[in-house]
Amino acid sequence: MRSSSRSDPISGLLRLPEEAATAGIGRLASVRWSLLLVALMLSVVGAATVHSASVAMPVEYLPRQLAWVGAGLVVFLVTFSLDYQRLALVALPFYGLSMALLVLVLFFGQVRGGSRSWFAIGPFGIQPSEVAKIATAILLAQYLAGLEGEYLRLREIVTAIGIVLLPVALLYFEPDLGGALTYGPMLAAMLLVTGVKKRYLVIAACTAVVVGALGWGLIHDYQRERVLTFLNPARDPLGAGYQVRQSKIAVGSGELVGRGYMRGTQSQLRFLPARHTDFIFAVLAEEWGFLGVAFVLLLYGSFLFGCAEVAARARDRLGMLLAVGFFAIFAFHILWNTGMVVGLAPNSGIPLPFLSYGGSFMLFAFAATGLVLGVDFRRYVNR
Amino acid sequence: MASIVRTRERLDTMATRARVVSVLVGIALAGIAGTYWWVQGLHGPEYRELADNNRLRRFPIRAPRGVVYDRGGRPLAENVPSYNLLLEPDASNDVKRSLAFAGSILETDPEQLHRLLVAHRRERPVEPALIAENLTLAQVARFELAALEHPEFEIDVQQLRLYRHREQTAHVLGYLAEAGPQDLTGGEYERGDMIGRRGIESQFERQLRGKDGERVVVVDSRGRAVDEFPPVQPAPGTNLKLAIDLDLQQTAQRLLEDKVGAVVALDPRNGEILVLASAPSYDPNLFARRLRADDWMRLITNPNNPLQNRAIQNTMAPGSTFKPLMALAGLAEGVVTPQTRFYCPGYGVFYGHVHRCWRPEGHGSVDLRSAIKNSCDVYFYNVGQRLGIERIARYSRKFGLGAVTGIDVPGEKAGLVPDAAWSRAVRKQPWYLGETISVAIGQGPVLVSPLQMAVAMAAIANGGHRPTPHLVEHAAPMPAVAGIPASAWAAVRQGMQAVVDSGTGYAAHIPGLTIGGKTGTAQVVAQRTRTRAEDLSYETRDHAWFVSFAPVEHAQLVVVVFIEHGGHGASAAAPVAKGIYEELLKKRPDLRVAPPA
Repeated sequence: MRSSSRSDPISGLLRLPEEAATAGIGRLASVRWSLLLVALMLSVVGAATVHSASVAMPVEYLPRQLAWVGAGLVVFLVTFSLDYQRLALVALPFYGLSMALLVLVLFFGQVRGGSRSWFAIGPFGIQPSEVAKIATAILLAQYLAGLEGEYLRLREIVTAIGIVLLPVALLYFEPDLGGALTYGPMLAAMLLVTGVKKRYLVIAACTAVVVGALGWGLIHDYQRERVLTFLNPARDPLGAGYQVRQSKIAVGSGELVGRGYMRGTQSQLRFLPARHTDFIFAVLAEEWGFLGVAFVLLLYGSFLFGCAEVAARARDRLGMLLAVGFFAIFAFHILWNTGMVVGLAPNSGIPLPFLSYGGSFMLFAFAATGLVLGVDFRRYVNR
Repeated sequence: MASIVRTRERLDTMATRARVVSVLVGIALAGIAGTYWWVQGLHGPEYRELADNNRLRRFPIRAPRGVVYDRGGRPLAENVPSYNLLLEPDASNDVKRSLAFAGSILETDPEQLHRLLVAHRRERPVEPALIAENLTLAQVARFELAALEHPEFEIDVQQLRLYRHREQTAHVLGYLAEAGPQDLTGGEYERGDMIGRRGIESQFERQLRGKDGERVVVVDSRGRAVDEFPPVQPAPGTNLKLAIDLDLQQTAQRLLEDKVGAVVALDPRNGEILVLASAPSYDPNLFARRLRADDWMRLITNPNNPLQNRAIQNTMAPGSTFKPLMALAGLAEGVVTPQTRFYCPGYGVFYGHVHRCWRPEGHGSVDLRSAIKNSCDVYFYNVGQRLGIERIARYSRKFGLGAVTGIDVPGEKAGLVPDAAWSRAVRKQPWYLGETISVAIGQGPVLVSPLQMAVAMAAIANGGHRPTPHLVEHAAPMPAVAGIPASAWAAVRQGMQAVVDSGTGYAAHIPGLTIGGKTGTAQVVAQRTRTRAEDLSYETRDHAWFVSFAPVEHAQLVVVVFIEHGGHGASAAAPVAKGIYEELLKKRPDLRVAPPA
């Protein structure tokens, strides 16, 4: 079997692992299904909040969001079924294809919200950057898993950075700063788990400072404005500071138990910008108060814990690194977005997994969940 | 694929690292939760208030300001609706078309309206823009008719203060103006509120203003109203009835036209002020309509200062109008009797200095009555010498000079009653006895306002009670001027009647009405040679006084006239008083003692 898959990886991709047939239901039951359950619970919370946020909008986003959740489940089934080890065989072509899409979108994509990052498919838009995220994660995991030695060598670290730098550069041109930022934590987490010498950590910290300073010069004006506004929201209360300010007002005015579902004044009277997408958590915080916030943060906590657990109990480097990579992406999105809503992080267009309205990222989140659980499912097989 | 399956050593180390990373993320997540607790749990009420500020827009419902009437119930200050045009640009499909439509009705250039709109938007981005004020009813009707087609326009009705009699009552009423920065500090006023300045409007601001109501509207982020709370209705201001007699007031102000001066008329029985006139005057309506810069410049650069209320703020030497008070002091102190005579050769020598009488040829032998009637200076030099400055000052103060009268409008000046203590304290020099001689005929450092003279005259007219002058009708105290016998009052009144019947104040004489009066001239510059007033330049001409009351037997009206640089009291001031008495007689023919011949 293995030899045939080696010679013909594509045909082997869609086969269920033979162990599924032999071990049957028992092994399926050992999968950490709570991860999917939490994802679905978050999706329900998200759909309800999207409904509340968009009820006064010209378009009611609830049906679309539910459709995306449904599509997400299909994607989950597909990615869960794929053997990540076989997937890793085509990591490089997949990576190349997704990079080509990122290049194409620069020329043929639609502009939405100031970024040329969308392919229009009928009424829906798809962001190739989400595909690129998965492809890059797989290629990076595959590369790092194949390395020997206790610690990474400098050449290996540079290669890893190179794998990530290409999509980051392409996203920079869209421009999609939020999308580009995601790669940082992913790379960092996977490198750290693989093993980085202390010496390199120190160098990395220094490099981060230098890159940060250089990056300050390279980012677009409006992005710099966002960061400055983040540091001092009163700087421009009617311009860039408006969103952060209104978001914080929405969060705070929720107090302990919230204004009540569909009764948040900041959301319903349209003071909150991007309230069904990036600032969905502000709507939730306003209408459900700290109780709602704590509940959803607990759900996210258990989701992240589940991902980390899958990584920790994986029996091969590839599976572990893949789970770590997606864990890092999820953690980054969750921390950054909830932090941004309460004014702890600048507004960089980073959506909240399963809650924010938006098809591409919803599909990505379910795809990633499927891949992570796929790692868990195959932990006794792939060793 | 050997590379994939091969390496499993140190998997446990990697798993440990993964767990460390997840713990770090967990700590960060806990930090986020803590921040939400900080914002929602600990500071929630503050943010809820900010959210309310976002969504609740408060619109004041202006309390109608109290109307001010004259004693006859005629409105002096009232409120009239003013129609303003508001434009809500967000409600318009095509702002250019909207402005063109408004321009056609208002007969203004749409470009100019556009500039107003832009300026207003910059200042108050979420409120409808005010683009025209004081629309005519016809214009209002045309906007109302087009309401369906142009829902973006709204007619805003504001109460505008109207002073129907403009300049004629300005110094009584004061005016309304937009509250300035110093008014906003107390929290009682908001930007755009009107506040009373000067006069009755200022003094009775609290009563007249009432309490504004409020409409609280829930708006969305574009400022569109989505809901409204039940309104808090305003409490209207209190109406005021003044003692002012509009007819007399208008007469006085008309007689002061082209002059600089003041007229005060009050009822000596109770202190009610019937006339409080000052010239030049100003149109208080200018302020209520948001004063334009050029109007304001014209007001403050006028050398005659139209904003000054000369009836209460201009203090001058009383001149010979001081003599009746000196006579009363002399009689009360027993330094003279009505029969005491002095010889006037046209001058007198006191403390080694020659003091001239105004009449170079002299008055011969004069008693009290003829001294008052002819305003003999030498007679009162003698009285003054016998009294001394301390007693002169004491009696002057008994009549209320040197202190504010307590009139119910702000800005009153106290004037000055000089004595030795004042001289030492203020001038840092001793009081010279020669000055007492000057003060005895109302010259020198003594300063009085027309209102103070009116109060003093009231005491003479009513025989010994000094009223508290007031504009708003109420029972005001009338303290007695103690220590002066009834006979003294009568003697002085007789002398003052002679002034108008056949003396220096004949210019005020009216057949059938008994008037007691006294002319006065306050020197502007010491004149070495006697020059006819008409030959002097305006600035060096003396100020003219005339103080009076009528009828003498049972006085009902005190009239004090002061004309700046008027020359002689007899020629400049007395005719003004006469005009006012004539107006009074039209309303009160019963005051005549005999039908005119």
